Amino acid sequence: MSGSEAITVESLGKTFSGGIEAVKEVNLTIHRGEIFGFLGPNGAGKTTTISILTTLLLPTTGRAEVDGIDVVRSPELVRRKIGLVFQRSTADTLLTGRENLEVAAGYHGISPRQAAPRIRQVLEHLDLSEAADRRVKTYSGGMQRRLEIAAGIVHQPEILFLDEPTLGLDPQGRSGFWDYIQDLRSTQGMTIFLTTHYLDEADQLSDRISIIDHGSILKTGSPAQLKEELAGDVIAVRPSVPHEQLREVLRAVPGILSVGEMTPKGACRVKVARAESLVPVIVRSCDAAGIELTDVSTHKPSLDEVYLSLTGREFRGDPEGIDDSGPGRGNHGPNGGR
Amino acid sequence: MYREFVTVLHREWLRWKREPIWVASAFIFPIIYLALFGQAFDLNRLFPAGPVGAYTVSRALYGAPNYFSYFAIGMVAFVTLTSALYSGTGVLFDKQLGIHPRTIASPAPRSALFAGSLVWRSFSAVWPAFLAMGVAVAFTDVPGLVGLSVRSTVTALGIAEILAAEALLAFMFTSLFLTFGYVLDSNEAYFGMTNLLNLPILFTSNAMFPQSTMPAWLQTVTAYNPASMAVNVMRENLFNTSGYPYPPEIYLLGLLGWAAALIGIALYLSARTLRVR
Repeated sequence: MSGSEAITVESLGKTFSGGIEAVKEVNLTIHRGEIFGFLGPNGAGKTTTISILTTLLLPTTGRAEVDGIDVVRSPELVRRKIGLVFQRSTADTLLTGRENLEVAAGYHGISPRQAAPRIRQVLEHLDLSEAADRRVKTYSGGMQRRLEIAAGIVHQPEILFLDEPTLGLDPQGRSGFWDYIQDLRSTQGMTIFLTTHYLDEADQLSDRISIIDHGSILKTGSPAQLKEELAGDVIAVRPSVPHEQLREVLRAVPGILSVGEMTPKGACRVKVARAESLVPVIVRSCDAAGIELTDVSTHKPSLDEVYLSLTGREFRGDPEGIDDSGPGRGNHGPNGGR
Repeated sequence: MYREFVTVLHREWLRWKREPIWVASAFIFPIIYLALFGQAFDLNRLFPAGPVGAYTVSRALYGAPNYFSYFAIGMVAFVTLTSALYSGTGVLFDKQLGIHPRTIASPAPRSALFAGSLVWRSFSAVWPAFLAMGVAVAFTDVPGLVGLSVRSTVTALGIAEILAAEALLAFMFTSLFLTFGYVLDSNEAYFGMTNLLNLPILFTSNAMFPQSTMPAWLQTVTAYNPASMAVNVMRENLFNTSGYPYPPEIYLLGLLGWAAALIGIALYLSARTLRVR
């Protein structure tokens, strides 16, 4: 492994008892100072992969190195190099925020006196200074998430693993978190490995993304690359009431490359080469089939379309916000139509 | 390793002082037992007053001047056991509340994590036991209560032996219940195990009742019970001893063997539990 690589994974696999294959033949290379997004739906194998890389699980096959250290042969050395932000809070709610960070630092061999300035700094950055001496059981969900992040970085790791870090945060909290992660990379040169099932998070934060599903990596590249590879446009079609025939009608329209699954409220997205010429055709076809449309919008492919093209199914039920609100919202999903 | 060990102690201390009920119960529980059970169950009343009765009681109680004095030393072992019963709950709740992953993802040596818990929890079992002994002695000055009467010639070596016996007893019971905390995952399983062991350990010892009143088979079991060994060390040093088959040093060796075995098992099983799979 060369010095520029922070994490190398070769043919990594994990099979749990009962034959459940959570991770299959995963290969990855993550460069120093990179923010790497590991994107996939729940149960895709993200947490299993991160658990192997952070020495909490043993792989069944393959190998992985973190900062050039084999995770199976020298787990103690790997643990000294990394920080980990868990999906769920690991804070002791009887202790204050500051005390939790002192304990986290202490487990890394850092005395309270050495840790004090760093703890102060981290608390300040994460907007927890005022609550630092309150017991964690009085913290809101967002404050507990921020404390979790603080515990992951208080010992100044070289490589930070974030497992679904913004789960449960409100939009403001997520936005603040993204700024902080980017700041960590730019000011400290930290390598960041991030798992998420939020498309917009992976898109906004990551230099590169791997899309994982059913334990296998489907594609790796920068968000722009992934979207560029998927040339063409997307048309989102929303009927006034859900209509069983909508997908069949859309499939029959010449020029439509693929038709996505119907959302719970009956909306559907189609992939086309050029949207402009096809929108009137779609409207006429639906009209002829007796399907009244309330909204038809076009946009460039988002990561969700990338996912759709790779797996044949949509990432989530409501990736673009086209199924659960009235007309107008369909044009602007969490990705802002990117 | 030192810093990580101290961190475990520090966290345990912070948790302990934030739980007033936990602290209060550790103070009150031995006093209630001594004041109610110890005072009500006075065997002396079963024997005639005077030198013959006193001699008979002394023989039955292996040199203790009265049943309360005999019982109070038994309480030291009992309090140690009941305090140690909760040793594994810290680890168990850490696992259940999701605190455990942060600990095991850290580079802290597993032996430091175990040693920190063992030392703190053992200390938490030792001080209420000596508090019970102090309260029992103080009862001597309370009108209407029987107190713990000890001989006036307790030596420094005797005090050292008493401290060693108590420390070894605390270490072994704490190790035992810490192991359950590491190995078991549910509250039901943990408290099922503690309930299963608590009274049998007590009733197969001579902590509460003289060995001479037991059937022969139970006397054999009692002889090997570590709680019996510990109270024998204490009673031999504190009373005008009679009837003990071995000197305190032999019982201390027995306790050392028990402690080494149980700490060894706990260390092995905790390391196995903390190992990644």
